[in-house]
Amino acid sequence: MRKLKTIATLVGGWGIAQAQNRFPKPDFESGYQYPDLQYAVPNETLWVILDLLLLVALMGIVTWALYKKHTRGPIFWVSLISVGYFGFFREGCVCSIGSIQNIALALVDDSYHLPLTVLLFFLLPILFAFLFGRVFCAGVCPFGALQELVNVKNYRISEAISAALKVIPWLYLIFAVLYAVTRSQFIICQFDPFIGIFRLGGDMGLILFGALLLVMSIFTGRPFCRFLCPYGALLSLFSSVSIWKIKLTRKSCINCELCHNSCPVDAIRPPYANKLKESRSTGVRRLLAYFVVLPVMIIAGALLMRMASPNLSRAHKDVRLYDQVIQHEAQPEEELSLELEAFYGQGRSVEEITALYEAKVTEYRFWCTIAGALMGLVIGLALIRLSVKRSRKQYEINHANCVACGQCFNYCPQNKQMNESHKPSES
Amino acid sequence: MAMEEKHNQPKNSPIRRREFFKLCGSVVAGGSILAVAGGLAPKLGSKEEDLFWQIDPTVCTQCGRCETHCVLPVSAVKCIHAHRVCGYCDLCGGYYRTNVKELNTAAENLMCPTGAIQRKFVEDPYFEYMIDEELCNGCGKCVKGCSSFGNGSLYLQIKQDLCLNCNECKISTVCPSGAITRVPYATAYKLKE
Repeated sequence: MRKLKTIATLVGGWGIAQAQNRFPKPDFESGYQYPDLQYAVPNETLWVILDLLLLVALMGIVTWALYKKHTRGPIFWVSLISVGYFGFFREGCVCSIGSIQNIALALVDDSYHLPLTVLLFFLLPILFAFLFGRVFCAGVCPFGALQELVNVKNYRISEAISAALKVIPWLYLIFAVLYAVTRSQFIICQFDPFIGIFRLGGDMGLILFGALLLVMSIFTGRPFCRFLCPYGALLSLFSSVSIWKIKLTRKSCINCELCHNSCPVDAIRPPYANKLKESRSTGVRRLLAYFVVLPVMIIAGALLMRMASPNLSRAHKDVRLYDQVIQHEAQPEEELSLELEAFYGQGRSVEEITALYEAKVTEYRFWCTIAGALMGLVIGLALIRLSVKRSRKQYEINHANCVACGQCFNYCPQNKQMNESHKPSES
Repeated sequence: MAMEEKHNQPKNSPIRRREFFKLCGSVVAGGSILAVAGGLAPKLGSKEEDLFWQIDPTVCTQCGRCETHCVLPVSAVKCIHAHRVCGYCDLCGGYYRTNVKELNTAAENLMCPTGAIQRKFVEDPYFEYMIDEELCNGCGKCVKGCSSFGNGSLYLQIKQDLCLNCNECKISTVCPSGAITRVPYATAYKLKE
């Protein structure tokens, strides 16, 4: 019976491949008219243009609020608009975080067609980060905005834990690019924790994870942005060398610590006196020694990932299909899976899938080596950074971590004095 | 004031060196933005934008995953009927299950699990079949029946007014035949007629 079923499906499969006209077109005598059915295509271009305009406008508003007004007020409204429009109305796609994968794929694969909107969604926030800091994260990104809106209290995560967790976005980024350039999966889109919340439905596990992140962000600012978001990792690079930098206050700092307490992402570093007295040359020599270890970590990472590449390549459809085909060829009596039904139904040969499989595995070996080297580099640099301790006399913004939410402005007493002194002169 | 401070710093002070490194970083960052933009610009505009996900009915094998893997609660994939291809048969492979004892409209005899196929008598011996899109869940059972025993006038398509246009279509990641691809506006539907 099972065999019969298989044959029936195979016949069905072949039937589709060929044009079939088993029954002739009927000659109607009653004057029957064919119904005229139209299938609507939404005007996607219009929405896409609106998306881009809103993206630029909202980032502009955030920049204006940060640099001209020194206040969070407008950023709060931008967050609401972003969650409403980009989140619940446009339901998330395409977002800047996911666009990383499209860009990576387009860079290595000439046949992949990259829409202009995706390129702009990728580049514009980076450009703004390079000019003004992470204004995109502040409230234009619906994920950040949503977490910021529910944030109530800022419990601090210990520095050791957060230093370790901050490596995750980089590793996530590397894996996302690895799976994108090998055309396997878009893992950022696949494991997006908030999309289910915005779409009010979807994968239950991911919605629960998203809800958990939101509950966590009530107690500590933006856990997703800080410890998961791969685009945030990218933006932090550009933000740390940005041309203009956010200033807490135009007046001098009075070391009151209020801004430090108000910062949801722990991006304001307190004054620090480096008690460790070592001569300059020892310090330099120590740092140089670390940089000698760095290549070792890079090579180790590259080798480890190269060894793991056959297993990682299972993320690709063709590799999984090849495994199934080989298994089926060894035990032909077992029931066919849907993939195998399609494979045999389309009349594909074992040689063809073997060639595809071998090409994919080679491709994976190459990209995994590079990914491993980058992972070694990221982990190595994170460790080296721990050893650099600089003295600070005042509270300073760490521009790589600062998400430009503007929470600190309203807490700085120097800003308040400025506003009060301004008010009488205005009235 | 700032200028004075800078002048007061010795030539190889750490502050100056840090500023220099920052400048290098800025140049690299700005350069990489330009490089990505410049490198990808020629790839734009050469073709029409591929905006929509669509099923190629000639490749589709009706595995049934369209019903279960769409991110929407009820899949955006629906069955579409090409009337000009249909044979208007009484014994329709898409309408009735195989090996049914009696050809009546009792639910146990019908292929569609949601009763989305409506059948209307036209003239002897022809029947017209219509899909009620509200009820269709995109399972493709009728498509399989029609392709195996009929003209293949029933086929699956992604309804563009329902599709959320995900960056990567979730169904396409599990589609065993690779029938789901991005298509430009002009061919947003791959219609059979």
